[in-house]
Amino acid sequence: MRFRPEGLRRRKTCVVVLLLVVFLIPAHPLIDRRVEAQNLPTSAPATASDIFRLERVPVAGGAELITIHAKLSGLETAGASKAGPWVPMVTVLRDTLGDRSRENDRLRYVWPLTYTRPTLRQRVFGAIPFLYAKVGNKKQASDKAPPPVLDLAAPDRDVWNRIFWAALQSLLLDPYGTPIKASTRSYRQNISDYRKAHVIRALSVLSLYHAIEGGDGGDRAGEAPAFTESELAEIQARLLLTDKTFGGLVDSLQLARYSDQRATGTLDERGHNWELMRQRAEAESLYFDPLQMPDGSTTHALLWVARDDLAARPNQQYSKRFLNIENPWSDKRLKRWQGHVETRYFDSENRPVSAEHAGARAVEMIPLALYGLDHPKIPILLVDFRDGLNPKKREMSRRVLEDVTRNVLSLSRFGDVPYFLGRTLFDFVTGRRGMDINQPSRLRTYSQLKLLLALNESLDPELRDEISHRSEKVSLNPIENDLEAEANVARQQYAALVAYANSPKGLPAKLDRDRRAELVTKEHGKGERALFSLANILSFGKYIHREKHSPDVEARLNISRRLTYHSRFLREVAQSSPQIDVVWNLDDVKRSLRFIAEHGSEADSRAISATGKIFTRTQDDETRRTCLESLSRIDNPKARKELIRISQITDLDPAWKQLITSYLDNPKRMEPLAASDAKPRANRPVQQ
Amino acid sequence: MICIRHKQVRTFLSAHARLVAPLLLVVAWMLLVPAICSAQTKRVVIIKVDGLPYGLLDSFVKERDERTGKSRLPWFDYVFYQRGSRLANFYTRGMSLSAPSWSTLDTGQHLQIKGNVEFDRYTLHTYDYLNFIPFYLKSAAGQRVDMPGAEVLDSLGVPLLFDAFSHEDRYIGFQLYQRGMRFMTLKEAMQRRFMKHPRELLDEWTMGLDMRTPFFDQMERELKEKLSNPNTRYLDIYVSNFDHVAHHVNDRRSHLSEIQTIDAMVGRIWTAIQTSPQAQETALIIVSDHGFNTTEGVYSQGYNLVKLLGSPAGGAHHVVTKRRLMLDYSIKGINFLVPLITTTTDDSYYLAGQSTDYPTALLDFDGNERASIHLRDSDLNLLHLLLQQLQRRKMSPAVRSASVDAFFRTIEGRRPQWQKNLDELNEELAALRKSIEQQRKLWEAEPRKFTPEEIKLGRDDQKKRVYAQLERWTTQEKDYTEYVRTLTHLLALRKEGFAPDKLKIEDVIAKRTMGERNSVHELQNYVVGLASGGLHLKPDGSLDLAKSFRRVDYFALIHNVTMRNNLQPKLANSPVDMIVTRISSDLVAPLVGENDLTPDVVWVYGGREKQALILARKTELGTLSLRYLPIRNLRQDAAGSIQFDPAVWAPGFPLRIFEDPEFAIPDRQEWLSQWHTDVEWLQVLHQTKYSNGLVGLYEEVARHPNENFSPDEPGLSRDEHLMRRLVRRQRELIETDLLLVANDHWNFDVRGFNPGGNHGSFFRISTHSTLMFAGGDRTGIPRATTVDAPYDSLSFAPTVLALTGNLRDDNNPISTLWNKGFRRFPGRPVTEVLGHRQNQKLAATGAVAIP
Repeated sequence: MRFRPEGLRRRKTCVVVLLLVVFLIPAHPLIDRRVEAQNLPTSAPATASDIFRLERVPVAGGAELITIHAKLSGLETAGASKAGPWVPMVTVLRDTLGDRSRENDRLRYVWPLTYTRPTLRQRVFGAIPFLYAKVGNKKQASDKAPPPVLDLAAPDRDVWNRIFWAALQSLLLDPYGTPIKASTRSYRQNISDYRKAHVIRALSVLSLYHAIEGGDGGDRAGEAPAFTESELAEIQARLLLTDKTFGGLVDSLQLARYSDQRATGTLDERGHNWELMRQRAEAESLYFDPLQMPDGSTTHALLWVARDDLAARPNQQYSKRFLNIENPWSDKRLKRWQGHVETRYFDSENRPVSAEHAGARAVEMIPLALYGLDHPKIPILLVDFRDGLNPKKREMSRRVLEDVTRNVLSLSRFGDVPYFLGRTLFDFVTGRRGMDINQPSRLRTYSQLKLLLALNESLDPELRDEISHRSEKVSLNPIENDLEAEANVARQQYAALVAYANSPKGLPAKLDRDRRAELVTKEHGKGERALFSLANILSFGKYIHREKHSPDVEARLNISRRLTYHSRFLREVAQSSPQIDVVWNLDDVKRSLRFIAEHGSEADSRAISATGKIFTRTQDDETRRTCLESLSRIDNPKARKELIRISQITDLDPAWKQLITSYLDNPKRMEPLAASDAKPRANRPVQQ
Repeated sequence: MICIRHKQVRTFLSAHARLVAPLLLVVAWMLLVPAICSAQTKRVVIIKVDGLPYGLLDSFVKERDERTGKSRLPWFDYVFYQRGSRLANFYTRGMSLSAPSWSTLDTGQHLQIKGNVEFDRYTLHTYDYLNFIPFYLKSAAGQRVDMPGAEVLDSLGVPLLFDAFSHEDRYIGFQLYQRGMRFMTLKEAMQRRFMKHPRELLDEWTMGLDMRTPFFDQMERELKEKLSNPNTRYLDIYVSNFDHVAHHVNDRRSHLSEIQTIDAMVGRIWTAIQTSPQAQETALIIVSDHGFNTTEGVYSQGYNLVKLLGSPAGGAHHVVTKRRLMLDYSIKGINFLVPLITTTTDDSYYLAGQSTDYPTALLDFDGNERASIHLRDSDLNLLHLLLQQLQRRKMSPAVRSASVDAFFRTIEGRRPQWQKNLDELNEELAALRKSIEQQRKLWEAEPRKFTPEEIKLGRDDQKKRVYAQLERWTTQEKDYTEYVRTLTHLLALRKEGFAPDKLKIEDVIAKRTMGERNSVHELQNYVVGLASGGLHLKPDGSLDLAKSFRRVDYFALIHNVTMRNNLQPKLANSPVDMIVTRISSDLVAPLVGENDLTPDVVWVYGGREKQALILARKTELGTLSLRYLPIRNLRQDAAGSIQFDPAVWAPGFPLRIFEDPEFAIPDRQEWLSQWHTDVEWLQVLHQTKYSNGLVGLYEEVARHPNENFSPDEPGLSRDEHLMRRLVRRQRELIETDLLLVANDHWNFDVRGFNPGGNHGSFFRISTHSTLMFAGGDRTGIPRATTVDAPYDSLSFAPTVLALTGNLRDDNNPISTLWNKGFRRFPGRPVTEVLGHRQNQKLAATGAVAIP
């Protein structure tokens, strides 16, 4: 790559001007408010049902919308007076095919209801390079159905879309020069960040719901749970994977593991940051105040200083490391602080207690900063009560670096070795040292802060308003809406979604189209499907191949989905253990094997090899026999191959070999399999 | 009639003497060693899991998985609960810390290794038992063949459990006490990591590549392959993932997920055993080195002792650690060959800018619920300060004269001890130099190449051991010689003609040494710097040592630390539960009216008013007997006399025995005021909050001379005697001044953060570990059996040896093992799992004898 010095100089000038404009956005002035004697801020609401409510809306054609409503007591919106503090947060569409069996259900769209289509004004500002500020809210959501963030039944579509747009950007838009390149990339980045923020919000709501309800919500009236444990894990994993380039391609068998892995990782980060903050606060003679989500998890924390300490320790040493705020001990502003203060009470062991506690010691405290704990390595500064620009600068740092290098200087890691080396070193050092300039995790923790502020009833309202106001100021994305606007939008969008679900031409019709598109994978070979996909891409997603209407669509789908369900179950069983008898209920395994056998011709090759593995990993004769019968009934050369492979196992009992031979010789002369439609035993949770 | 018979017998015996004598010997031998006749376990497979807590495991096994209707840990249930025996009360003896715990488990002998990291006070040489990377690198260079822990135990003549099996008959996983290095395992693990179906690899890459699991998978694969060889009699595999996760997170879901991984491994190994040729004679054992203090919803809080010691109130020490502070945030932290880390303080009273030359505190915080502190000999500080003052030109003659007097008075006060150690060390160094020469010749005589048969027998490893020993000795010789040089100079100073301005301080006060261990008096009056008013004279013109120096009482200082942020209701406001140190029983015996005490008394400090002494004595049969004496206000004067006030039993003394609801003795005061054997203490205390902490404290803090390697053994040459004495000295030099034990849910980790949980203390939750057995029909291991009787980790090795017919009933090893260096095991074998032996009358006489 060759640089053109003049062009570069012009670009540099532009960058400097833009940076100046952005940095000159005035800091929020300190608010002159004073609140006396607040109680402890961290107390969880009484019961879980106080926080979440589940609503199910049936959809014609055999589906239901499952919506999690949250009680956002922290908000006082216009809509709140009519609807109370309940705000619909996330809706998931479950396609049930009209029955109660879970085996043929398919979870489809996920709507974070706060996620909306940006206004024209937001879009325009979103396309202005280096504009790192909010430009207003969307006040009125459209009557149209809201946009989903993910189709759980086709997660791979997201991958191909992303690849397609990336290619389009590089091949078509970038060559038009810096203005086009910078604005289109900025727009795409803002749209992507906006979507990510709402995916994270949806995840947070689902995680909280999961933690509080334990995955059996909705079962209060004896009805089936809204989501099983594994379904919740799957939804969360799929949402988490939207962040990864090839996330949509990950095998569904891996989802539970990935969800667990990420949950553990998140808890690890929170715990580390909780402890880091506590130790740093202790070392600097400050007060650490964790803020809890309704499930008891600590996602954020406040840092306070005691007013008396400021007077008593004027020469206190201070290290900025990890806290990233200026020295409070030498700060004259704090000595004449007129902003928010609270009085807290402590017992003789320095435990926070109420004012009524015998021997309670009152300490008047000044808030210094608010941090997010869901961040790699260090707590991330979200609000600096003395310097509104401080978090904003941190928020912008990496984004500016990215935008300048990529959009202005056209440097790419893959095309420029010195840049690659320099950037790798920079990323290593900042990452290793734990500098809070990691954009994606900043998005996450901001998104969670909004939820925390909305859900946490114990925060002093004025402090909450101040935090909310300051955190909105920090936002870089012109497309973002503030918390109250989001709540309004969520209510409006939910109403639109319900109307869409109730309209015959709305969701039921879409459901029908989706089902016919779903059948394509069963009805067409790989080559044809590839052509359909190509047509879809070239038409910018407008063309989607669907099977024709026919009365048996649902019946075919029923078989297809059940086959998928049983095949996946058998794969899981086969992979799990060298002796499946020890780990699994063999009745369940046999049931799945029989289903595969009955619909043998449609069984996929992975189910066939799983069946073969199960044969070798069980000691149970009946299960073994069922495996062989299943394989013999599947009209597929691979199944026959699998039977031959089993028959060649050296230490296999001759009786089994003989049976296999008879199956191979005359596969059609089989007795019907018994109890193929056996239902799972009573009260047994559905597999998957 | 009888006479005739006797006569007939005599005639018969004399006629067939040649035949009868061997026959009688065989019969006698069989009677004496019934274990050999009855034992049918030909092979043992041991799964060693770091920090697997029994309580958590047991609760998961008993939970049902809603999907399958089976246990959440189906293989544990199937193998150990339905087909095996499990110990419901198996505890770590000593600290619940990996390196010491595994050393007890792997040797069956009393504790010789006292921490994950140990420092030699004279030379600051570190024994880092947990860091694998230097071992791998040195192995690659051919300089090492054993992990540091194994090397130390070898130097002490304490064999490891797997040494009972010959090199070619065993398979050893990568672990703390590892022998030999298999780079092929690493290579295969990496190859298999990436040689996968591209789709699978893409999934893994997307979800995050796991680089730890492949090594464990490879070891498991190798172990299963080895099972097919009927000659392999010992196999083990070491797993550490649970420990790693539990330090970080405290939620049950994450813990379950990790234990399920182990469960699946149990299943795979059990299945492989069942398809192997010796399935019926194979025992599968799972054992963990400690429990884990982790509670859902409670974060374990760290306290930074480095910062305390570096603060003016803490003595303003430059502190040396073997773990980098805030490792994950440090660029230098990527260096796996962790050097000694010196944390410099800006507040140093007299050693500013000299942190790397003169660190004055060593801290081992590894293990987290405990920490060990070495402080430089307080008198060395005092001498150092006086020398600095004397080298100043502006000093009044009176103060100068008094300072010189004080300087030499201090030296004279310490001369007997220092001179004795110096003389002995010089003798030992002379012997060491000879040994080095002999070792060098041995090394030079080693063959260059080995045949495949020799390699199979481990001859190549033996050769590397020769080199490693030579290299170790050479380093030791150099380091100790330097220490000897400066101490000699110091002791050679004479008041007459003393010219401090011509002295280089580093010639008389050795750099990078802690000197001798501090006495209680020194720790209560530790010199950290000059008093704010400088040197102060008494009316008689002598130096007022009390007023001239800034002093710290470390017991009070550390114990009284409190926190401003005390946010978790279940946690105490103070991070330190108790402080422990060893006192010579000579000082205590006259005060307690006991004259048969073992040389070591353990003093436990829980505040000025809440202290205790753990006294010990040995019975005629060699059984350890302990007494717990509550006291108040122990102090030592400058002359060395100990004084304390008696205390009556009441709640609040260290280990909280008296008030513990699980301490199920009707007359507590009466019982507690008596002597009891270690087994009796364990039986009575094991359910209490601190479980076998009393026995554990003694195990950890007292010295345990190794009879197998005694310098006083008859028949040794002079040099052998001296070399053994040097080895013993080296073990004594790692003894710390203070052992700190954390309060519940507190830890001392400053390498990073361990909010999930910790271990290292004597809490039951931290010491309650896992031991389970299962085996084929011929092993005799009972099925579906829970052993409720309490055992500790000293029981593990003798149980395995008894199971395999290698242990006599008197707890001595059979003769082949005796010849390999194994000696009588102090722990009781778990007879309940020994099947055939369970109801047999023990043939032991109790005497310790060479078989």
